[in-house]
Amino acid sequence: MGKNMPHLGSEYQHSVSSYVKDWAIVQVRDQAGDGAAAFMSSAHEDQGGYVQSPGGFGSPAATQDKRPKSRSQNIVPCTVSQLFSAQQVDETFQVRDVEISQVLIMGLIRQAEKAPTNILYKVDDMTAAPMDVRQWVDTDEAGSENIVVPPGTYVKVAGHLRSFQNKKSLVAFKIKPLENMNEFTTHLLEIVNAHMILRKQTKEGSKMFQSLSSPGMGTVSYGGLSNLPVNGLTVHQSQVLNLIKTCSLPEGMSLQDLQSQLHNINMTTIKQAVEFLSSEGHIYSTVDDEHYRSTDAE
Amino acid sequence: MEDVHEGPRPRITTSQLAQHVGQPVCFVGRMQKIHPSGKMFVLSDGEGKSATVELSEPLDEEISGVLEVVGRVTNQATIMCMSYVQFREDKSPFDTYLMSRP
Repeated sequence: MGKNMPHLGSEYQHSVSSYVKDWAIVQVRDQAGDGAAAFMSSAHEDQGGYVQSPGGFGSPAATQDKRPKSRSQNIVPCTVSQLFSAQQVDETFQVRDVEISQVLIMGLIRQAEKAPTNILYKVDDMTAAPMDVRQWVDTDEAGSENIVVPPGTYVKVAGHLRSFQNKKSLVAFKIKPLENMNEFTTHLLEIVNAHMILRKQTKEGSKMFQSLSSPGMGTVSYGGLSNLPVNGLTVHQSQVLNLIKTCSLPEGMSLQDLQSQLHNINMTTIKQAVEFLSSEGHIYSTVDDEHYRSTDAE
Repeated sequence: MEDVHEGPRPRITTSQLAQHVGQPVCFVGRMQKIHPSGKMFVLSDGEGKSATVELSEPLDEEISGVLEVVGRVTNQATIMCMSYVQFREDKSPFDTYLMSRP
């Protein structure tokens, strides 16, 4: 604290240099305590091994992992006015190119209504009208869920954004009173930071994805992307898998066919790739150990 | 509570009061002194400048520390307070300077 923080503020005014960005994230982890950092890191660990994710894009935030094909796993700090202005795109919401689903807001409780199954708060962060935040109450357990946070308290709310009849609301899975108001200041900075980083990632992500998918699934050459692991597979494994996927014969593709089509890979490497893919469940053997089919085949 | 709470209220500092005359704002500052009548008090913002806050009804409690005031800016560049919230400082002190950075 103290002397270092004003430096952050003034730099933030002019430009968000990468130094400041990284530093801001470090500070976030320190100051926000169990809150934001824990949420973000748990979202990061939430990667299933099978899901496609454009892994090596070098995101500086180390928390935002963008998956264009499946649901966004991020929790994004936002202001209430951003949530109100979010547009619904298919299943998810978007705030100026940033996809949001789970959000983190901080604000003042203006009203608290207790119902048998839920508590409805109105949370105000001064950027717009108060937002409805619903917290479901576990009727079996008499515990922290039944304690209503009194109006006039600043809280941190983590939840899902919902829209019903064009009215936005949040379904909260965590509501915690703020103990240190400096967390609120940090939250304001986090909002700017996170949205900037996510927006940049979306632009980079869509560009990279286009170049990956355009060679087509059936072709062998991957050009200059030989060092980039895709889907957690090495280049050879990807090539083998993609070839096997294209085969529509009931007995699948034989190792001989694979070798004749993949000139740059020797038989040992092909066999190793096949073994790996088969143990991961991408392919299965058919008539014998020499023939394989893809589990993902249409 | 009026409609002030139904729209955006920018967070400002004393030097920005003049630009927001007539508009709802949110002002965070540390209590400097309270007028004996209880209907007016002075807060100092993150940059150290003072701003006057007026109330429609006198304060019924002795408050001190950091306050967040929501209200409308008058023509005299004071704030007509609609509601206020006291910031918790029991665990750690609040840095008003940080909040005044854009």
